[in-house]
Order: sequence, then structure tokens, then C-alpha cells
Amino acid sequence: MPVEMITGSQAAATAVQRAGVDLVVAYPITPQTAIVETLAEYWARGELGGEYVNAESEYASLAYCSGAASAGARTFTATSSHGLAYMHEMIHWCAGARHPIVLANVNRAMGAPWCLEPDQIDSLSQRDTGWIQLYCANAQEVFDTILQAFALAESVLLPCMVVFDGFYVSHTYEAVDIPPRDTVARFLGPSCFAAQVDPGRPANLHGLIGAEAQSRLVLSRHRAMERVWETLREINDRFAALFGRSYPAVEGVACEGAKTLLVTAGSCAETIKSVLPALDGTGLLRLKAVRPFPARELRTRVEASGAETVIVVDRNCSPGLGGILAQEVKAALYGAAAAPPVQNLILAGGVDLTPWMLKRILDGSLFTGGGGPDREVWGVDLA
Amino acid sequence: MEKITEFRLHGRGGQGIVVAAAVFAEAVFREGFYARAFSLFGAERRGAPVTAFVRVSSAALMPRCRIYEPDCVAALDVTISGDTVLAGLKTAGLLLVNAPDRELSYLNDFDSATAFRIFRVDASAIADQHNLTIGAFPVVNTVMVGALARITGLASLDSVLAAVEKRISTRRDQNSKAVAEGYRKVKEVSGVVR
Repeated sequence: MPVEMITGSQAAATAVQRAGVDLVVAYPITPQTAIVETLAEYWARGELGGEYVNAESEYASLAYCSGAASAGARTFTATSSHGLAYMHEMIHWCAGARHPIVLANVNRAMGAPWCLEPDQIDSLSQRDTGWIQLYCANAQEVFDTILQAFALAESVLLPCMVVFDGFYVSHTYEAVDIPPRDTVARFLGPSCFAAQVDPGRPANLHGLIGAEAQSRLVLSRHRAMERVWETLREINDRFAALFGRSYPAVEGVACEGAKTLLVTAGSCAETIKSVLPALDGTGLLRLKAVRPFPARELRTRVEASGAETVIVVDRNCSPGLGGILAQEVKAALYGAAAAPPVQNLILAGGVDLTPWMLKRILDGSLFTGGGGPDREVWGVDLA
Repeated sequence: MEKITEFRLHGRGGQGIVVAAAVFAEAVFREGFYARAFSLFGAERRGAPVTAFVRVSSAALMPRCRIYEPDCVAALDVTISGDTVLAGLKTAGLLLVNAPDRELSYLNDFDSATAFRIFRVDASAIADQHNLTIGAFPVVNTVMVGALARITGLASLDSVLAAVEKRISTRRDQNSKAVAEGYRKVKEVSGVVR
């Protein structure tokens, strides 16, 4: 299979093209723009296969996707930051309507003021909408995850957000193994979920309902999220058989017997992995899935490791509470046998995670100066 | 752990620095290495400082962060401050500067205690000769990639030419000639030892 030097954005676009998408809807925003640009090039060369629409806004982009998905079409759009925020109402709507749309979100900070750095607050602000969220650490994983996302979304009938860091992944050229379209087709056939609209049988979709009916629908989405674990395992098995790669909901590295476990989502994991061989007694748990949140697996793995400390690396912050993933990890560890303290390295704003920053964190001195076991440290203060 | 060689490129919007990093990474990839290239820029505008990074290793596992302590720095534009260019350059590291002979005094302005080796190529003049300009502004990226390949020994001229063929769609002939000239004409500056 050809290995090419491409960026994370080009990997996303190429995967969408290989997936045999019916509709791509585009509205540009940095750092996402290269995804829809690359897809436009495919369309211009007659190689996209599906339709390509320039929408009038991000809100409209997702509305187009919603309409097309109602007709049974495989649809894709991409955005970042303010674009994702502007979609917010439609993000809820598409989950409620059970549209298996795939959306790539390239992480970028939220204004004011304007900032292009890869804060994860944009996608994490959408974590309660009912979308699956899968976070990627490199361009190969972006390519593979886009393919898996279509399979997963169409299987459990929930929309899926594929998330990766701006610049560190979206703009990085690196080697990506790109299988040809016919090989991809062995993994991902044409979309086969049922259309909700049928011109021969006119109907009013998603009309007004009461609290009890709404509660049952929310419950059904909650249950569909539970089905993601088994479905993702099956998808990974099939994917690994064809391509030799797989992406479990939680990736563990050097966890057994580790005194300290680092937990993160996204490309910070690669910097952590690169320093692990030089750090005795430190392991990594990378959250591939953030929704559904792999609480049970995380708890099991932390308990099995016997770790004394968990440090969550959050490139985001919920002001007034702290790093968002740290809060979710604490909730997951509630009731665990001998739950270790959960400390928090906060890189909100999109601050770069460096090897020297990790070494300073892990020598212990930063987390022992008071403030209790749940202390937080801001990366920006570590200069 | 495998040795990772880290590069930082400094230049200005319009000089093609993002492409320079991508072409260099592609050339090194063709030699069988793992390579990653990425850039830092704000809202894109001509003349604004741009920084690009390249990591090269024989193993896939590399940090995914900016480069603070490079093994090699390339300055595409001599108006970028010396402190910025030299920040963190490793002892015995390589500095490649786009500068004509008469501007060598610029090198003496670098305020650094680090011992490093300096290489010079007049990339602006070479780009000019091959009509690689936007307005009056020489696009020096491919010349500098040729020079980088030569001084680091990480990529052959053939690999760089193949990378140009792959990555650059306009003025390919001129760019190929510029690469070869950068490769051939880059010289170590003697007498400026630190």
C-alpha cells in the first residue's frame, strides 16, 4: 500500500474520499480549511464520487448534512472552534434525529480574543450533545478513524465527531499508509442505514412530543452509546485484519506496575510516549473515546496498575472547575478500590506539551507543595 | 532510544518556508527515515515571521511539540533577530544562513555563547537568477532545502529533486535548478568560530 507524506488534514480528506461519501458540505475556518480544500480538489478532478456543497455557514453545513442523512446519504463536514460552536443547535438536532453524520473537528481555542492554538474546549463543549467523540494523535490515526467513524456511526445510528489537534496534527506532514479505494471498500461498503424520508409516503419528522416520550428517546441514545463499546471492538477487529492497525477506546502504554499514570486525549499522548522509555514507573492511558466515556475500562486499568498517582493532561479548562478530562477521570474512579489522587496539568489555550515540562511534572516537586492531593498545575507557569 | 535530529527554519511569509519544511521532510522520508514537518503561523500574511520545524528519526516515535533545542537552524531571512534564530541551538549544532558575502558581518551580531558551525548560501541571488520571485521578493525555499540536504547529509540531491517534483507544481524546472545550485554552492564559513 502506498505510504505518502501528507498532513493530518489531507489524511482526513483522503479517508472521506476513500469512504465513498455521498455528500461533503464545506465552510472554511482555520485550522480546518485544508480538509475541505483537499476534498474540493478531489471533486474538481471528478474523484470524490459524491456531491460537494459550499454552504453559507457552519450552521447551514450541518443542516445540509441532516437533510441528506434523512435520505440515507453518507455525509461529512469539517470545522473548528467558532464554527463548531455556531453549529451547536444542529449538533443536538442531528444526535436526536439519529443521523450517522461524520464531522471532523480540528481543535482550536475559542474567542474572545481570536486564537488559533489547539485548545480542546471547542469539541469538549459539545460533549453532552449525544455525539460519539473519537480523539486522534497522528495523521495515520486520523485517516483510519474517519473510516471507522462511518462504520461505527452507521451501525449504532449516532453521529460521530473525529477530533484532532490543530497544527500539531492538522498541519504536520508525516508518513501515512493510504489503502486504495477498493481495499477500503472491503472494510466499508456503501451506506445501508434506512432513509427517514420517503417522497412516496409523506410524513412529519421529529414533531412535538412530551417529557416522557423525550425521556425514552434520550434513554435510547444513552443505550446506543453503550453499544459503542462492543461495536468499536468488532470494527477494530475487522480493521486490524485488513490493515494491521487498531484503536481501542483506551490505549495503555507501560501501565503495569507504574507508580504514576498519565491520562490524556489527543496528540499530547505522542510527546508522553516519546519520553516514557526514559521514565521509570510512569505509564500512559490515552482516551481514544471521550464520548461515550470509557469509565469502566479506565477504572479497571487504574486499579490493575496499582498506580499511586494519576496525572491528567488537559489541553482545556472549565473555568471554576478545572481540566475537563480530569473531572471525568475523577468521576470514573469514584468508588474504586484505593483510588489514587488525581492531579491535573492544564494546558488551556493550546499550550505546547514539551518533554521538559513532563520531566518537571514527574519529578514530583510540582505536586507536593500543598494544595491537597487534587492539585492542579498550569503549564504556562512552568516556563 | 533512537536519535532524533531536529530542525528549525526561520523566515517570512512569502518565502515558502512551509513548503521548504515539507520538501525537506519528503526528501528525508525518501532516504528511509521517519520525518515530520510542521509550521507555526498566525493569520497568513506576506512578510510576517514564520517558523517551521522538521524532526527526523529512524524510529516512528517522536515528540509532537515545537522544537526548542534544534540540532540545526536555517535562517531564510537575515532580518529575523539573531536571538530568535539561535535560541536553543545545540552545542556543535549547524546554522545555515541565506546571506551574500557582503553580509557576513551580520553573523558577528549573533550574541551566543554556544559553539556552532555556520554555513552560508546566497539563496536570494540564486532564486533571483532562476526567476523564483513574487514581485521583487525572492522565494528562497528550494535553494535552502538543497543546502540543508548537503550540510546534514540526510538526503541526496536526487531525493531532494524527487521531493520537489512531488511537492511543487509551479516552475518545477527553475526550482530543480535552484535546489541543485543551493546544494552545490553552500559553504562553511571559516574564521567565524565560536
